[in-house]
Amino acid sequence: MIPATLLTNALLVGAVLFCLGLVGILTRRNLIVMFLSAELMLQGVSVTLVAWSRYHGDWGGQVLVVFVLTVAACEAAVALVFVLQAFASTGRLDASAWQALREENLPRVIDHGLPADDRVVPTWPHLSPAGVLPEGDDSRSLERDHV
Amino acid sequence: MDPVAATTLPIPGLLLAGSVAALAASLWLLLPKTSDTVNSRRLGFLFGAAALIGFAATGRSLGGVGADAVFLTVAGISVISGLATIVTRSPVYSAIWFAMALAGVSGVLLVLGAQFLGVATIVVYAGAILVMFLFVLMLAQPSGMAPYDRVSNEPMLAAAAGAVLLGLLTLSIGRLSAAEPPACCRLPSRAQAMAAAPTEGVGSEDDRSATLLAPATAGVERVDADEVAHLGAELFGRHLFAVEVAGVLLLVALVGSIAVVSRGEATETDHRRESR
Repeated sequence: MIPATLLTNALLVGAVLFCLGLVGILTRRNLIVMFLSAELMLQGVSVTLVAWSRYHGDWGGQVLVVFVLTVAACEAAVALVFVLQAFASTGRLDASAWQALREENLPRVIDHGLPADDRVVPTWPHLSPAGVLPEGDDSRSLERDHV
Repeated sequence: MDPVAATTLPIPGLLLAGSVAALAASLWLLLPKTSDTVNSRRLGFLFGAAALIGFAATGRSLGGVGADAVFLTVAGISVISGLATIVTRSPVYSAIWFAMALAGVSGVLLVLGAQFLGVATIVVYAGAILVMFLFVLMLAQPSGMAPYDRVSNEPMLAAAAGAVLLGLLTLSIGRLSAAEPPACCRLPSRAQAMAAAPTEGVGSEDDRSATLLAPATAGVERVDADEVAHLGAELFGRHLFAVEVAGVLLLVALVGSIAVVSRGEATETDHRRESR
Protein backbone atom coordinates (compact mmCIF):
# COMPACT_ATOMS: atom_id res chain seq x y z
CA MET A 1 0.00 0.00 0.00
CA ILE A 2 1.09 3.54 -0.63
CA PRO A 3 0.83 6.66 1.53
CA ALA A 4 -1.81 9.27 0.76
CA THR A 5 0.75 11.81 -0.44
CA LEU A 6 1.97 9.47 -3.16
CA LEU A 7 -1.66 8.78 -4.06
CA THR A 8 -2.46 12.45 -4.62
CA ASN A 9 0.71 13.02 -6.61
CA ALA A 10 0.04 10.02 -8.82
CA LEU A 11 -3.54 11.24 -9.32
CA LEU A 12 -2.10 14.59 -10.41
CA VAL A 13 0.17 12.90 -12.96
CA GLY A 14 -2.78 10.91 -14.28
CA ALA A 15 -4.88 14.08 -14.58
CA VAL A 16 -2.11 15.90 -16.48
CA LEU A 17 -1.70 13.02 -18.93
CA PHE A 18 -5.46 12.80 -19.46
CA CYS A 19 -5.81 16.53 -20.16
CA LEU A 20 -2.85 16.55 -22.56
CA GLY A 21 -4.39 13.66 -24.46
CA LEU A 22 -7.72 15.49 -24.54
CA VAL A 23 -6.14 18.62 -26.02
CA GLY A 24 -4.29 16.49 -28.55
CA ILE A 25 -7.37 14.64 -29.74
CA LEU A 26 -9.33 17.89 -30.03
CA THR A 27 -6.76 19.82 -32.01
CA ARG A 28 -4.59 17.55 -34.11
CA ARG A 29 -5.74 16.57 -37.59
CA ASN A 30 -3.50 13.62 -38.35
CA LEU A 31 -5.47 10.44 -37.67
CA ILE A 32 -2.45 8.63 -36.23
CA VAL A 33 -1.64 11.48 -33.84
CA MET A 34 -5.28 11.55 -32.76
CA PHE A 35 -5.00 7.88 -31.86
CA LEU A 36 -1.76 8.49 -29.99
CA SER A 37 -3.58 11.17 -27.99
CA ALA A 38 -6.37 8.73 -27.16
CA GLU A 39 -3.75 6.26 -25.94
CA LEU A 40 -2.26 9.05 -23.82
CA MET A 41 -5.66 9.53 -22.18
CA LEU A 42 -5.79 5.79 -21.51
CA GLN A 43 -2.37 6.01 -19.85
CA GLY A 44 -3.61 8.76 -17.55
CA VAL A 45 -6.60 6.65 -16.56
CA SER A 46 -4.32 3.66 -15.96
CA VAL A 47 -2.09 5.66 -13.61
CA THR A 48 -5.17 6.82 -11.68
CA LEU A 49 -6.59 3.30 -11.42
CA VAL A 50 -3.31 1.80 -10.23
CA ALA A 51 -2.85 4.57 -7.67
CA TRP A 52 -6.28 3.97 -6.17
CA SER A 53 -5.79 0.23 -6.31
CA ARG A 54 -2.51 0.41 -4.43
CA TYR A 55 -3.92 2.90 -1.94
CA HIS A 56 -6.86 0.71 -1.02
CA GLY A 57 -4.89 -2.53 -1.19
CA ASP A 58 -7.53 -3.84 -3.58
CA TRP A 59 -6.64 -5.61 -6.82
CA GLY A 60 -9.68 -4.50 -8.80
CA GLY A 61 -8.01 -1.41 -10.22
CA GLN A 62 -5.01 -3.30 -11.50
CA VAL A 63 -7.20 -6.00 -13.03
CA LEU A 64 -9.12 -3.23 -14.79
CA VAL A 65 -5.85 -1.83 -16.15
CA VAL A 66 -5.02 -5.28 -17.55
CA PHE A 67 -8.31 -5.16 -19.44
CA VAL A 68 -7.59 -1.59 -20.55
CA LEU A 69 -4.39 -2.92 -22.12
CA THR A 70 -6.33 -5.70 -23.86
CA VAL A 71 -8.99 -3.40 -25.21
CA ALA A 72 -6.36 -0.86 -26.31
CA ALA A 73 -4.62 -3.56 -28.33
CA CYS A 74 -7.91 -4.59 -30.00
CA GLU A 75 -8.87 -0.98 -30.60
CA ALA A 76 -5.50 -0.17 -32.15
CA ALA A 77 -5.70 -3.16 -34.50
CA VAL A 78 -9.21 -2.41 -35.74
CA ALA A 79 -8.70 1.35 -35.87
CA LEU A 80 -5.47 1.13 -37.83
CA VAL A 81 -7.18 -1.05 -40.40
CA PHE A 82 -9.82 1.65 -40.84
CA VAL A 83 -7.14 4.35 -40.97
CA LEU A 84 -5.38 2.46 -43.74
CA GLN A 85 -8.65 2.08 -45.64
CA ALA A 86 -9.36 5.78 -45.23
CA PHE A 87 -5.88 6.56 -46.47
CA ALA A 88 -6.39 4.28 -49.46
CA SER A 89 -9.54 6.14 -50.46
CA THR A 90 -8.39 9.74 -49.89
CA GLY A 91 -4.61 9.59 -50.04
CA ARG A 92 -4.28 11.62 -46.84
CA LEU A 93 -4.20 10.88 -43.12
CA ASP A 94 -6.27 14.02 -42.58
CA ALA A 95 -9.39 14.00 -40.43
CA SER A 96 -10.71 17.01 -42.38
CA ALA A 97 -10.62 14.96 -45.57
CA TRP A 98 -13.83 13.41 -44.27
CA GLN A 99 -15.66 16.64 -43.58
CA ALA A 100 -18.36 15.71 -46.09
CA LEU A 101 -19.69 13.61 -43.18
CA ARG A 102 -20.24 16.67 -40.95
CA GLU A 103 -23.60 18.02 -39.86
CA GLU A 104 -25.38 20.15 -42.42
CA ASN A 105 -25.39 23.29 -40.28
CA LEU A 106 -21.66 23.23 -39.59
CA PRO A 107 -19.27 25.37 -41.61
CA ARG A 108 -16.75 23.82 -43.88
CA VAL A 109 -13.10 23.70 -42.76
CA ILE A 110 -10.99 25.57 -45.28
CA ASP A 111 -7.24 25.86 -44.87
CA HIS A 112 -6.19 29.46 -45.41
CA GLY A 113 -2.55 29.75 -46.25
CA LEU A 114 -0.85 26.73 -44.78
CA PRO A 115 2.40 27.66 -43.04
CA ALA A 116 5.62 27.04 -44.83
CA ASP A 117 7.64 24.02 -43.96
CA ASP A 118 10.30 25.63 -41.78
CA ARG A 119 12.03 22.45 -40.79
CA VAL A 120 15.77 22.45 -40.63
CA VAL A 121 16.93 19.83 -43.09
CA PRO A 122 19.16 17.46 -41.14
CA THR A 123 22.61 16.72 -42.42
CA TRP A 124 22.92 12.98 -42.78
CA PRO A 125 26.27 11.29 -42.36
CA HIS A 126 28.07 10.82 -45.63
CA LEU A 127 29.10 7.23 -46.13
CA SER A 128 31.86 6.39 -48.55
CA PRO A 129 30.81 3.69 -51.02
CA ALA A 130 32.19 0.26 -50.35
CA GLY A 131 32.87 -2.19 -53.17
CA VAL A 132 31.68 -1.80 -56.73
CA LEU A 133 28.11 -1.43 -57.87
CA PRO A 134 27.06 -4.67 -59.55
CA GLU A 135 25.90 -4.54 -63.12
CA GLY A 136 22.15 -4.89 -62.84
CA ASP A 137 19.30 -5.22 -65.25
CA ASP A 138 16.52 -3.05 -63.83
CA SER A 139 13.78 -4.79 -65.71
CA ARG A 140 14.74 -8.15 -64.30
CA SER A 141 15.50 -7.06 -60.73
CA LEU A 142 12.04 -7.95 -59.50
CA GLU A 143 12.13 -11.42 -60.97
CA ARG A 144 15.39 -12.31 -59.32
CA ASP A 145 15.04 -15.32 -57.05
CA HIS A 146 18.53 -15.27 -55.57
CA VAL A 147 20.97 -12.59 -54.54
CA MET B 1 -18.58 21.42 0.00
CA ASP B 2 -18.83 23.77 2.93
CA PRO B 3 -16.77 26.97 2.83
CA VAL B 4 -14.62 25.78 5.73
CA ALA B 5 -13.25 22.94 3.68
CA ALA B 6 -12.73 25.31 0.79
CA THR B 7 -10.68 27.67 2.92
CA THR B 8 -8.54 24.89 4.37
CA LEU B 9 -7.68 23.68 0.89
CA PRO B 10 -3.97 22.84 0.83
CA ILE B 11 -3.48 24.24 -2.68
CA PRO B 12 -2.59 27.92 -2.93
CA GLY B 13 -5.22 29.30 -5.29
CA LEU B 14 -2.93 31.82 -6.95
CA LEU B 15 -0.36 29.15 -7.76
CA LEU B 16 -2.99 26.90 -9.31
CA ALA B 17 -4.50 29.74 -11.36
CA GLY B 18 -1.06 30.77 -12.55
CA SER B 19 -0.14 27.23 -13.55
CA VAL B 20 -3.42 26.79 -15.41
CA ALA B 21 -2.92 30.06 -17.29
CA ALA B 22 0.69 29.17 -18.10
CA LEU B 23 -0.36 25.74 -19.33
CA ALA B 24 -3.07 27.19 -21.57
CA ALA B 25 -0.66 29.75 -23.02
CA SER B 26 2.01 27.12 -23.53
CA LEU B 27 -0.34 24.72 -25.28
CA TRP B 28 -1.69 27.46 -27.50
CA LEU B 29 1.79 28.64 -28.45
CA LEU B 30 3.16 25.16 -29.02
CA LEU B 31 0.31 23.59 -30.98
CA PRO B 32 0.81 23.76 -34.75
CA LYS B 33 -0.77 26.92 -36.15
CA THR B 34 -0.58 29.08 -39.23
CA SER B 35 1.10 31.93 -37.37
CA ASP B 36 3.98 29.92 -35.99
CA THR B 37 7.42 31.37 -35.56
CA VAL B 38 10.48 30.05 -33.80
CA ASN B 39 10.17 32.75 -31.15
CA SER B 40 6.56 31.90 -30.34
CA ARG B 41 7.59 28.29 -29.89
CA ARG B 42 10.41 29.34 -27.55
CA LEU B 43 7.92 31.38 -25.55
CA GLY B 44 5.69 28.31 -25.45
CA PHE B 45 8.51 26.20 -24.03
CA LEU B 46 9.08 28.88 -21.40
CA PHE B 47 5.41 28.89 -20.40
CA GLY B 48 5.40 25.10 -20.39
CA ALA B 49 8.35 24.99 -18.00
CA ALA B 50 6.55 27.51 -15.76
CA ALA B 51 3.39 25.38 -15.80
CA LEU B 52 5.40 22.25 -15.03
CA ILE B 53 7.07 23.93 -12.05
CA GLY B 54 3.69 25.25 -10.91
CA PHE B 55 2.06 21.84 -11.01
CA ALA B 56 5.07 20.25 -9.33
CA ALA B 57 4.75 22.81 -6.55
CA THR B 58 1.04 22.02 -6.33
CA GLY B 59 1.85 18.36 -5.98
CA ARG B 60 4.42 19.19 -3.34
CA SER B 61 1.88 21.19 -1.37
CA LEU B 62 -0.36 18.11 -1.43
CA GLY B 63 2.30 15.99 0.23
CA GLY B 64 6.01 15.68 0.67
CA VAL B 65 6.68 13.47 -2.31
CA GLY B 66 9.05 16.13 -3.57
CA ALA B 67 11.58 14.21 -1.53
CA ASP B 68 10.96 11.11 -3.64
CA ALA B 69 13.34 11.94 -6.45
CA VAL B 70 12.53 8.81 -8.43
CA PHE B 71 8.85 9.58 -8.60
CA LEU B 72 9.53 13.20 -9.51
CA THR B 73 11.85 12.14 -12.31
CA VAL B 74 9.58 9.57 -13.93
CA ALA B 75 6.53 11.79 -13.55
CA GLY B 76 8.42 14.65 -15.18
CA ILE B 77 9.54 12.42 -18.03
CA SER B 78 6.03 11.18 -18.69
CA VAL B 79 4.42 14.63 -18.55
CA ILE B 80 7.04 16.38 -20.71
CA SER B 81 6.97 13.57 -23.26
CA GLY B 82 3.17 13.62 -23.26
CA LEU B 83 3.24 17.35 -24.02
CA ALA B 84 5.79 16.77 -26.77
CA THR B 85 3.60 13.98 -28.20
CA ILE B 86 0.71 16.31 -28.90
CA VAL B 87 2.66 19.38 -30.04
CA THR B 88 5.28 17.78 -32.30
CA ARG B 89 4.53 18.40 -35.95
CA SER B 90 6.05 15.27 -37.42
CA PRO B 91 3.86 12.24 -36.61
CA VAL B 92 6.86 9.93 -36.45
CA TYR B 93 8.49 12.08 -33.79
CA SER B 94 5.13 12.20 -32.06
CA ALA B 95 5.05 8.40 -31.88
CA ILE B 96 8.58 8.29 -30.53
CA TRP B 97 7.77 10.88 -27.88
CA PHE B 98 4.78 8.72 -26.99
CA ALA B 99 7.17 5.81 -26.44
CA MET B 100 9.12 8.05 -24.08
CA ALA B 101 5.90 8.95 -22.26
CA LEU B 102 5.17 5.24 -21.93
CA ALA B 103 8.57 4.71 -20.36
CA GLY B 104 7.75 7.44 -17.84
CA VAL B 105 4.32 5.99 -17.10
CA SER B 106 5.88 2.60 -16.62
CA GLY B 107 8.27 4.15 -14.10
CA VAL B 108 5.33 5.75 -12.28
CA LEU B 109 3.59 2.40 -12.11
CA LEU B 110 6.76 0.79 -10.74
CA VAL B 111 7.07 3.48 -8.08
CA LEU B 112 3.44 2.87 -7.16
CA GLY B 113 4.29 -0.80 -6.69
CA ALA B 114 2.47 -2.30 -9.67
CA GLN B 115 5.38 -4.24 -11.08
CA PHE B 116 3.48 -6.42 -13.52
CA LEU B 117 1.63 -3.50 -15.07
CA GLY B 118 4.80 -1.45 -15.29
CA VAL B 119 6.46 -4.15 -17.34
CA ALA B 120 3.31 -4.93 -19.33
CA THR B 121 3.02 -1.27 -20.33
CA ILE B 122 6.46 -1.39 -21.89
CA VAL B 123 5.99 -4.80 -23.50
CA VAL B 124 2.45 -4.40 -24.81
CA TYR B 125 2.29 -0.68 -25.56
CA ALA B 126 5.80 0.28 -26.56
CA GLY B 127 6.64 -3.12 -27.94
CA ALA B 128 3.50 -3.99 -29.88
CA ILE B 129 0.93 -1.21 -30.22
CA LEU B 130 3.39 1.60 -30.89
CA VAL B 131 5.28 -0.45 -33.46
CA MET B 132 1.96 -1.09 -35.19
CA PHE B 133 1.36 2.68 -35.27
CA LEU B 134 4.79 3.22 -36.77
CA PHE B 135 4.12 0.55 -39.38
CA VAL B 136 0.94 2.31 -40.45
CA LEU B 137 2.74 5.66 -40.51
CA MET B 138 5.46 4.25 -42.71
CA LEU B 139 2.88 2.65 -45.00
CA ALA B 140 0.71 5.73 -45.31
CA GLN B 141 2.92 8.77 -44.92
CA PRO B 142 6.54 7.88 -45.51
CA SER B 143 7.65 11.37 -46.53
CA GLY B 144 7.41 13.04 -43.14
CA MET B 145 5.28 16.09 -42.52
CA ALA B 146 2.12 16.76 -44.47
CA PRO B 147 0.42 20.18 -44.71
CA TYR B 148 -2.29 19.12 -42.28
CA ASP B 149 0.34 18.38 -39.64
CA ARG B 150 1.21 22.07 -39.55
CA VAL B 151 -2.26 23.32 -38.62
CA SER B 152 -4.66 22.29 -35.89
CA ASN B 153 -8.34 22.72 -35.14
CA GLU B 154 -9.15 25.53 -32.69
CA PRO B 155 -5.87 25.50 -30.76
CA MET B 156 -6.82 28.36 -28.44
CA LEU B 157 -10.18 26.98 -27.34
CA ALA B 158 -8.85 23.46 -26.90
CA ALA B 159 -5.82 24.62 -24.89
CA ALA B 160 -8.02 26.72 -22.62
CA ALA B 161 -10.49 23.86 -22.16
CA GLY B 162 -7.76 21.34 -21.36
CA ALA B 163 -5.99 23.64 -18.91
CA VAL B 164 -9.24 24.52 -17.13
CA LEU B 165 -10.18 20.85 -16.88
CA LEU B 166 -6.77 20.11 -15.41
CA GLY B 167 -7.22 22.92 -12.90
CA LEU B 168 -10.60 21.54 -11.83
CA LEU B 169 -9.19 18.03 -11.49
CA THR B 170 -6.31 19.38 -9.40
CA LEU B 171 -8.78 21.23 -7.19
CA SER B 172 -10.80 18.09 -6.60
CA ILE B 173 -7.65 16.10 -5.87
CA GLY B 174 -6.61 18.75 -3.36
CA ARG B 175 -10.04 18.65 -1.76
CA LEU B 176 -9.67 14.89 -1.52
CA SER B 177 -6.40 15.17 0.34
CA ALA B 178 -7.83 17.90 2.57
CA ALA B 179 -10.68 15.63 3.59
CA GLU B 180 -8.50 12.55 3.75
CA PRO B 181 -7.22 12.19 7.34
CA PRO B 182 -10.65 11.93 8.95
CA ALA B 183 -12.24 8.63 7.96
CA CYS B 184 -13.42 9.69 4.49
CA CYS B 185 -11.07 7.57 2.48
CA ARG B 186 -10.06 5.09 5.09
CA LEU B 187 -13.46 3.71 5.97
CA PRO B 188 -14.40 2.57 2.46
CA SER B 189 -11.08 0.88 2.13
CA ARG B 190 -11.58 -1.06 5.34
CA ALA B 191 -15.18 -1.86 4.43
CA GLN B 192 -14.01 -2.97 1.02
CA ALA B 193 -11.45 -5.22 2.63
CA MET B 194 -14.12 -6.66 4.92
CA ALA B 195 -16.36 -7.35 1.97
CA ALA B 196 -13.54 -8.81 -0.05
CA ALA B 197 -12.02 -10.90 2.72
CA PRO B 198 -14.64 -13.69 2.96
CA THR B 199 -14.62 -14.40 -0.76
CA GLU B 200 -10.87 -14.29 -1.00
CA GLY B 201 -10.16 -16.03 2.26
CA VAL B 202 -11.19 -19.33 0.68
CA GLY B 203 -8.03 -21.23 -0.06
CA SER B 204 -5.71 -18.30 0.52
CA GLU B 205 -3.26 -17.88 3.32
CA ASP B 206 -4.01 -15.83 6.39
CA ASP B 207 -1.38 -13.13 6.02
CA ARG B 208 -3.01 -11.94 2.82
CA SER B 209 -6.31 -11.14 4.47
CA ALA B 210 -4.33 -9.59 7.30
CA THR B 211 -2.69 -7.13 4.88
CA LEU B 212 -6.07 -6.49 3.31
CA LEU B 213 -7.56 -5.63 6.68
CA ALA B 214 -4.76 -3.29 7.65
CA PRO B 215 -5.78 0.35 7.34
CA ALA B 216 -4.06 2.46 4.73
CA THR B 217 -1.59 4.27 6.91
CA ALA B 218 1.54 6.04 5.84
CA GLY B 219 4.73 4.11 6.17
CA VAL B 220 3.33 0.71 5.25
CA GLU B 221 5.70 -1.21 3.03
CA ARG B 222 5.26 -0.03 -0.51
CA VAL B 223 6.51 -2.98 -2.47
CA ASP B 224 4.64 -6.25 -2.34
CA ALA B 225 7.05 -9.11 -2.94
CA ASP B 226 4.34 -11.39 -4.36
CA GLU B 227 2.61 -8.68 -6.37
CA VAL B 228 2.50 -10.64 -9.61
CA ALA B 229 1.30 -13.81 -7.87
CA HIS B 230 -1.49 -11.93 -6.12
CA LEU B 231 -2.54 -10.16 -9.32
CA GLY B 232 -2.58 -13.46 -11.18
CA ALA B 233 -4.63 -15.12 -8.46
CA GLU B 234 -7.11 -12.24 -8.57
CA LEU B 235 -7.22 -12.21 -12.38
CA PHE B 236 -7.74 -15.93 -12.79
CA GLY B 237 -9.88 -16.27 -9.67
CA ARG B 238 -12.56 -13.64 -9.35
CA HIS B 239 -12.22 -12.31 -12.90
CA LEU B 240 -11.82 -15.55 -14.81
CA PHE B 241 -14.96 -14.98 -16.89
CA ALA B 242 -13.77 -11.50 -17.83
CA VAL B 243 -10.44 -12.97 -18.94
CA GLU B 244 -12.33 -15.36 -21.22
CA VAL B 245 -14.36 -12.48 -22.61
CA ALA B 246 -11.14 -10.53 -23.25
CA GLY B 247 -9.75 -13.51 -25.14
CA VAL B 248 -12.87 -13.64 -27.30
CA LEU B 249 -12.56 -9.89 -27.85
CA LEU B 250 -8.97 -10.27 -29.06
CA LEU B 251 -10.01 -13.05 -31.43
CA VAL B 252 -12.92 -11.02 -32.80
CA ALA B 253 -10.68 -7.98 -33.31
CA LEU B 254 -8.15 -10.12 -35.16
CA VAL B 255 -10.73 -11.76 -37.41
CA GLY B 256 -12.59 -8.49 -37.92
CA SER B 257 -9.54 -6.49 -38.98
CA ILE B 258 -8.46 -9.20 -41.43
CA ALA B 259 -12.03 -9.39 -42.76
CA VAL B 260 -12.20 -5.63 -43.31
CA VAL B 261 -8.88 -5.60 -45.17
CA SER B 262 -9.64 -8.62 -47.34
CA ARG B 263 -13.16 -7.43 -48.12
CA GLY B 264 -11.74 -4.13 -49.36
CA GLU B 265 -9.30 -5.98 -51.60
CA ALA B 266 -12.02 -8.33 -52.86
CA THR B 267 -14.20 -5.43 -53.97
CA GLU B 268 -11.24 -3.86 -55.74
CA THR B 269 -10.51 -7.01 -57.71
CA ASP B 270 -14.21 -7.47 -58.46
CA HIS B 271 -14.31 -3.90 -59.70
CA ARG B 272 -11.32 -4.54 -61.93
CA ARG B 273 -12.90 -7.73 -63.24
CA GLU B 274 -16.11 -5.87 -64.05
CA SER B 275 -14.24 -3.11 -65.82
CA ARG B 276 -12.47 -5.61 -68.02
